[in-house]
Amino acid sequence: MRVGDTLGNAHAQVLALAPGVVATALSLDPAAGYVLSRIDGRTTWGTLRQIGALPPHEVDQLVESWLKDGVLVASGASAIKTTRDARGSDSAAQQPPKKPPAAHAKPATPAPPPPSAAKPKALSLPEVDASLDLDLDLQREILAFAAGLGRRYHELLGVAADADARTVKKAYFALSKRLHPDRYFRRNTGPFGALIETCFKRLLEAYELLSDPTTRKEVQEAEAAAPPPPLTTIDAEGAASARARGLDARRRLRERVSAMSSRARAEGERRRKAKTFFEHGMTAFAGSRWLEAAGAVRLAIAFDPENSAYREEFPNVQRKAHEERAKQLVKQAEGALEMRDYALALDTFEEALHYRPGDADLAFRTARLAVQASGELKRAKEFAAQAVEVAPDNAEYRKMLASVYAAAGLEANAKREFSAALRIDPSDKEAKAGLRSLS
Amino acid sequence: MSRVIGIDLGTTNSCVAVVENGQVTVVPNSGGYKTTPSMFAITQDGKRLVGHLAKRQAITNAKGTVTAAKRLIGRRFDSDEVQKSISLYPYEIVRGPNDDARVVVGGKTFTTPELSATVLREMRRVAEEYLGEPVKEAVITVPAYFNDAQRQCTKDAGKIAGLEVLRIVNEPTAAAIAYGMSRPGKDEKIAIYDLGGGTFDISILELSDGVIEVLATAGDTFLGGEDFDRRIVEHMLAWFQEKEGIDLRGDAMAMQRLKDAAEKAKCDLSSRETAEVNLPFIASDDNGPRHLSFQMTRELLERLVHDIVNGTLKTVEQCMLDANIQAKEIDQVILVGGQTRTPLVQQAVADFFGKRPHKGVNPDEVVAVGAALQGESLVSEDQNLLLLDVTPLSLGIATFGGHFAKLIERNTTVPARKGHIFTTTRDNQTAVKIRVLQGESDTAVENDLLGEFVLNGIRQARKGEPEVEVTFDIDANGIVSVSARGLATGKEQSITVNATGTLSDDEIQRIIRDQELFEVALKE
Repeated sequence: MRVGDTLGNAHAQVLALAPGVVATALSLDPAAGYVLSRIDGRTTWGTLRQIGALPPHEVDQLVESWLKDGVLVASGASAIKTTRDARGSDSAAQQPPKKPPAAHAKPATPAPPPPSAAKPKALSLPEVDASLDLDLDLQREILAFAAGLGRRYHELLGVAADADARTVKKAYFALSKRLHPDRYFRRNTGPFGALIETCFKRLLEAYELLSDPTTRKEVQEAEAAAPPPPLTTIDAEGAASARARGLDARRRLRERVSAMSSRARAEGERRRKAKTFFEHGMTAFAGSRWLEAAGAVRLAIAFDPENSAYREEFPNVQRKAHEERAKQLVKQAEGALEMRDYALALDTFEEALHYRPGDADLAFRTARLAVQASGELKRAKEFAAQAVEVAPDNAEYRKMLASVYAAAGLEANAKREFSAALRIDPSDKEAKAGLRSLS
Repeated sequence: MSRVIGIDLGTTNSCVAVVENGQVTVVPNSGGYKTTPSMFAITQDGKRLVGHLAKRQAITNAKGTVTAAKRLIGRRFDSDEVQKSISLYPYEIVRGPNDDARVVVGGKTFTTPELSATVLREMRRVAEEYLGEPVKEAVITVPAYFNDAQRQCTKDAGKIAGLEVLRIVNEPTAAAIAYGMSRPGKDEKIAIYDLGGGTFDISILELSDGVIEVLATAGDTFLGGEDFDRRIVEHMLAWFQEKEGIDLRGDAMAMQRLKDAAEKAKCDLSSRETAEVNLPFIASDDNGPRHLSFQMTRELLERLVHDIVNGTLKTVEQCMLDANIQAKEIDQVILVGGQTRTPLVQQAVADFFGKRPHKGVNPDEVVAVGAALQGESLVSEDQNLLLLDVTPLSLGIATFGGHFAKLIERNTTVPARKGHIFTTTRDNQTAVKIRVLQGESDTAVENDLLGEFVLNGIRQARKGEPEVEVTFDIDANGIVSVSARGLATGKEQSITVNATGTLSDDEIQRIIRDQELFEVALKE
């Protein structure tokens, strides 16, 4: 195999995320996301195979597809070319195996705007002013915070990168006491008023993103991929000499100009790539290859996250892909049922339900399986409640939910659902019996 | 500097509190009651009455007495709520020039902010008498689910009553503030179950070292104690018709008597098992006068209203989902609103959360107390309380195909800033209309329109190519500004969304002048 031959050398290569790629838009499963998060411009492909998140051959598959799609760049070019040749064009947009996180009850929406896309706005910072109704230390504190608004979110909150939710919240509350505009209600805060509000909004953003495990992971990946812009330092004392400032300014300007031109080049490249993916996706869509189409459009968005045409198309493509995926999964689950592998069947049904949340009957069957196969009442309740929510006028679903509640000892809820079932069908014997057994 | 008062402007009753030297006092009115009926009346001879005076004559002057004006405030005449009110209340509700609902009493047409203003003015007067100094500023509470128009109308009502409204605070949030102040240094998650006369709200909040964060809030603006009363009335009407063959429905006076009796029986049944309803001479026919004498039991009441109570639990479940929290994680459940005195309600809430509700607060007064504390915390120097309030409803813009794109989701802490990129839908389109909406439906027209503007000068290009960044900014006062910027051209347009209350500034000024003429009548 040519692939195997070339890969031997390829493993010595150092991998890095291609400039401008927004990793969060890729929508990976946690294992693939972990692999991607290890890629930092220093780690070699060989090391990556040994980190243990996935078997080595699966790591290879991921890296190959990322290299081919241009998500990654390797420090040497030869292997990339070979691997690209080695793979059929048909799999051009194949996605890494994707298993949705079970916690997501609603169908995945397009990825939220990546945090790294938040452009650090040029803030003009006011001078410390003794005539304001804010003491000077507080003014300096606010200025320092404002100057660091471009920092990473956890730095903004002053917590460790791996701080737990409780610590994040504590830090947010403590900073809110200093930075919430209500603290300075009707005080003469001059130009600090608007600044305080800006700071609080950014603080809120940091807290919101870091307190939800999903967005937090995205933030971490994005931050690992793109180092934060250098801090603007505040010259609160005004001590630096004018000469030093002049030199500094010229140096910064040079850096900025060169950064801007290379960024513009990379930007054009990125957009072209995105366009290719998108067109490929539309071709696949026209040819009813839904999963492939979804993968390609997703990549297009990853390369050009600001193009709303791609984002707008994505839900359609994704819906089709979800339908397809759900169909496959239901089939698999029914296979597992026949093999009497109930645990697998339940998991697979649940996954299918994730892609087809509006299918009440599927939810009902999943609920029944959860009760019968594993007695997992909490899961069963979720599924049964989903069925009832989708089809509130179905007495069967209500009774199922009621009996799950009853089994869990939630009598009031059980009664409510049995009564609801009775309202739908006043002659329903099971519901009557259920109610009697509760009272 | 004058003091800030806290007013709980309720559907059926209102309450006012003040902070003095760090202590909160609920101010009793001249009759010694700590709550005042939210009622306004014009008598046959043209006198204007508010509060207990209005309630006392409500039976004989049913058409001239306005109750539950809060149900109409900020609503369109054609809305379900107004239409429902028309069928429920004996007074006359008409369509106003801005398609708002107005009320005709004593031959004069009143806007809904004017009606609420009569109650606010009374509360202000009560506070002024107690404090012995003029009061100019207030924090007023509203149900969590009030939309922008309803909040704006409540602010307008304050203005008409001569009050600057520093903040509109959600009722359950105010209750949490009052509760939180009594527990400094505690870290707790609390649920506020607020079943008042006309509205139901549930909120989940977190208290931590003087900071109060609203995790989620949900509710029903048309569910409350009055629904209990109505069920009782309906039951008695049917019973009387069967027994005497007389339908009392068309008789405004009889209906008002039945309603008063139902309310009293309901309250009695909170502490007793049975209550007598005696309404002599309720009707007459050829055979002479008829009396209504009915024995009400707690068991019958519970049968009549149990589905209403269960309905509230559904909303509670929704709110818990929004807050991503389980019942067992809630440390305290606080009951607010007079209707939570009903044992059935207390039982249902205790069953749901698996714990007995907190007993330490007075359900009728806690909201006003919290409002006063919030007012104090805004203006005072040493602040030991910070409320991280949230937006009650989602905000966004209408997009192609009649969809609603939410930019700020409900329950987002304010102040906040959120942006998103949109594009054109036709080739060579050079202008986009940004329609700012508020609500929860994915369909644009089912939400409330807050304002709209046009961004011109977009670069000519194929559809889908130009990029327009729309940014929502919402400040600590809940004022929303929306800007749209063409990313290629840098051209920018923005508006500050002036909540469309039902009154213009001119109208408010005119009403304030008109009311001054009646100042003497009001102070009698």
